Amino acid sequence: MNRLASILRGPGGALLYKEFLEAWRDRRALWMAICFSLMFPVMLAAGSVFMLKKHTEEDTRLALLGAAHAPLLEDRLRGGSLKVDALDGGDPAALLAGDYDIVLSVQDGFAEGYRNFEAPPLYLYIDSSSSAAVRAQRHLQERLGVFRQLVVQQRVIARGVAPQLLAPWHLEVRDVSTPSRRGAMLLAMVPGLLILTLFVASLATSVDTSAGERERLSLETLLLQPLPAWQVILAKTLAVASMGWAGALLALVALVSLMPLMPLAELGIQQATTASGVLTMGLLLLPLALLVAVVQILLALRSRSFKDAQTQLSILQVAPVVLLMMLDMSRAELGGFLWQLVPLVGQQQWLKALLVGETVPLMTLLAGSGATLLLVAVAIRFGATALQRESLLSAA
Amino acid sequence: MARTRQIFTWLAALFAGLCSAAHVVAGGAAAETCYLDGWGNPLHCYRLPVEGKPETPRLAVMVAPAVHDSGEEPLYLLAGGPGQAASDLAPLLNAFKPINRERDIVMVDRRGSGRSGAFHCGIEDQLSLDLDVFARKLARCYLQRPEFAESLSSRQTVEDLEMVRLRLGHEQIALWGGSWGTRTALLYQQWYPESVSELVLDAVAPIDTKVFLTARAAEEALRTLERDCASDPACARLGDWRGRLDEMLDNWDAGRAPVLPDPLTGKLSGEPMARWEFANAIRTVLYDPGAAAQLPYAITQAHQGNLQPLAGLSGLFLQAAESMSMGLTFSVACAEELNRISAAEVAADSRGTFLGTAFFDLFKHGCRGWPVKEKPYSTPEPREHPVLLISGEADPITPPRYAEVELGYLANRQHLIVASGGHINSARGCIPGLIASFLADPAEALDTTCSGQIGRPPFMVADYGPDIGGVSPQDVEAVGKVSGKEAGQ
Repeated sequence: MNRLASILRGPGGALLYKEFLEAWRDRRALWMAICFSLMFPVMLAAGSVFMLKKHTEEDTRLALLGAAHAPLLEDRLRGGSLKVDALDGGDPAALLAGDYDIVLSVQDGFAEGYRNFEAPPLYLYIDSSSSAAVRAQRHLQERLGVFRQLVVQQRVIARGVAPQLLAPWHLEVRDVSTPSRRGAMLLAMVPGLLILTLFVASLATSVDTSAGERERLSLETLLLQPLPAWQVILAKTLAVASMGWAGALLALVALVSLMPLMPLAELGIQQATTASGVLTMGLLLLPLALLVAVVQILLALRSRSFKDAQTQLSILQVAPVVLLMMLDMSRAELGGFLWQLVPLVGQQQWLKALLVGETVPLMTLLAGSGATLLLVAVAIRFGATALQRESLLSAA
Repeated sequence: MARTRQIFTWLAALFAGLCSAAHVVAGGAAAETCYLDGWGNPLHCYRLPVEGKPETPRLAVMVAPAVHDSGEEPLYLLAGGPGQAASDLAPLLNAFKPINRERDIVMVDRRGSGRSGAFHCGIEDQLSLDLDVFARKLARCYLQRPEFAESLSSRQTVEDLEMVRLRLGHEQIALWGGSWGTRTALLYQQWYPESVSELVLDAVAPIDTKVFLTARAAEEALRTLERDCASDPACARLGDWRGRLDEMLDNWDAGRAPVLPDPLTGKLSGEPMARWEFANAIRTVLYDPGAAAQLPYAITQAHQGNLQPLAGLSGLFLQAAESMSMGLTFSVACAEELNRISAAEVAADSRGTFLGTAFFDLFKHGCRGWPVKEKPYSTPEPREHPVLLISGEADPITPPRYAEVELGYLANRQHLIVASGGHINSARGCIPGLIASFLADPAEALDTTCSGQIGRPPFMVADYGPDIGGVSPQDVEAVGKVSGKEAGQ
């Protein structure tokens, strides 16, 4: 403790102050971090509202040709999400190209065929290249299915048969998910996006503090100071990580504040993220922010120019997110303890659990975060050695 | 170092907090996850011990947890019968999804029903017995558990519900009652007014109404069916089916009575149908508008000697009969209803009806062998709770006039009458939405116009089912010739 205090009082403290000042003074970098941090929670909330609206409110417009051949059919199809227009005639293709999602045609003689048990055809015209086709067909099938069942039931009853004979068994579906777990699907991408926010929010600062300082020739001056190299790297890492962490925290807070606006209950999802869960999520992102910062700084230092550093880091920010998505899609079993020690993978798992209100064992969190911090220390040590190589300074 | 330790303690507290939040604790009783047929999502289930002798089954309590618990009063579902189990109402949860979003829905199987020690007599599926044989079998069932039979009552059920409310830690509860469940709800409201917030009563059996006098109600329901059939061009073609029904009932010859084919096996087995059975079958069909829509055709066919459609219709009600706990039905009906009905009232109710005393006789005979003590109610006192009453216009057992006449003591009531509706309408059309709106804002008057769209299902008019329209059967031949000519050209 005393040693830390003495470092902070000495040139080390001045260095840290300088690094933080430079990081937070850059308005452009700050705005970029803020914008990105707010963007994905807003998009997620708006997306879920839009999805529900589309699912529940969108109507299907059905053109019924030849309704006069089966007035009861027209009557029974009306209702729910199906808007029926009985038309005297018309070309199905033209109607589909116009206002209608779907066209049902009843032919002359339909009623007669129906009465004679001939199972007369109904012609359904669809445009499978249209995005509305599948939904429209489902809406029609639902209404038509109910009416069909009614007719079948009356027919078997007329013959003295209990309608239950038509169902040799009854399939009872039992859903083992809980309303909070059901949120996992909607919120599945959130951990990845939070981690991506870490990368994006700290990108500009990390390039500026490393490759940028080198191009401005101020890095050389910095290294001439009587300071251990590890302190230089550490100060830069802390400054860069502060920016990334703040961005991720902002995104997290924005997401949680927007949750009440999302139609979660309508989607059968319980909003289960707890206040302590949010705090835990914030804390567990800190070691990761440090790791991301130090890796970004090291990569930027070994790049040849400012531009080169930007390019390399842009690729780097996408790579882990893609990796996490691939792990998700491959349905790899990530529950094992060793996986919890792997940076990114561990954090992603914990974020996932905490978002749906589940708990993560304290030991797992501490061990995983410790492993990440250990990597940070190794990286700082590595960076300190690299800084002493002159080649680094003349890379440009 | 001290500071570091502090942070650690704080972190540990944080996680301890997280862990305790994950536990489900409710009133000291541990909830288990369970499922009910007809509803796919997991429920929290409790088995609560109850006081009392001679038998103390544990009460089965099932809670469909709110998707998003916003602290609204839970809704308790009270089942009918008496004898039906609340757990059999699980399919209703599908219609009540909007309500379940923010409220727990609680089902308590009352003692003697469902999972709380169902009091079956082994004759639930044998109602087509000779009345005397039926009464004898029932008496034997009573003699096996006379004390249990005596203990079952509405009072006991309300006390149990109150105990459940306290155990689950619910400050106030909303009640949904269906059929006899409305009686339980109204009694609960009388005895524990502070425990109840709002009531939704579907197919209302007011406290002072003698609901086992059903002949007039059934007659009214049948007349509504006649009216609707006459105004439907296809059904009207069936002619005077009501006259044929009366003719069959008037000229019933026990010696030449038909045997109803078994709708499951198709076999002609069992005893010839008794007149009271036939009348009761007609009455039962009127409960469900979908089944009632097939009645004019089924009667027309029966009049011609074809009993198949009537047999098919009876198949629709097999499961409903099996789910009743007959011991509970008779314990409550004999103690709380039958004893307060006089012979003069029976005569007045049955005069000029198709049903006559056919339904009442079943209970009159049954209660002779089920000698439980009389358990009268006191006169209901005024209550201020918001109440939504729902009636089906053509309900053969709890017609709309019950809710109109006998509930003057409820100051804040609104009455929704479903045109041509049968018994229990809560799951039909827009009604679940109306119930949700009522519970969300009970003081507001509901706009019930949407219920006008529910209507009666299409009538069965021939062996092909409903008339799909177009050309009428009489014209088919002529049109067939014309279209044949056109095709030839």
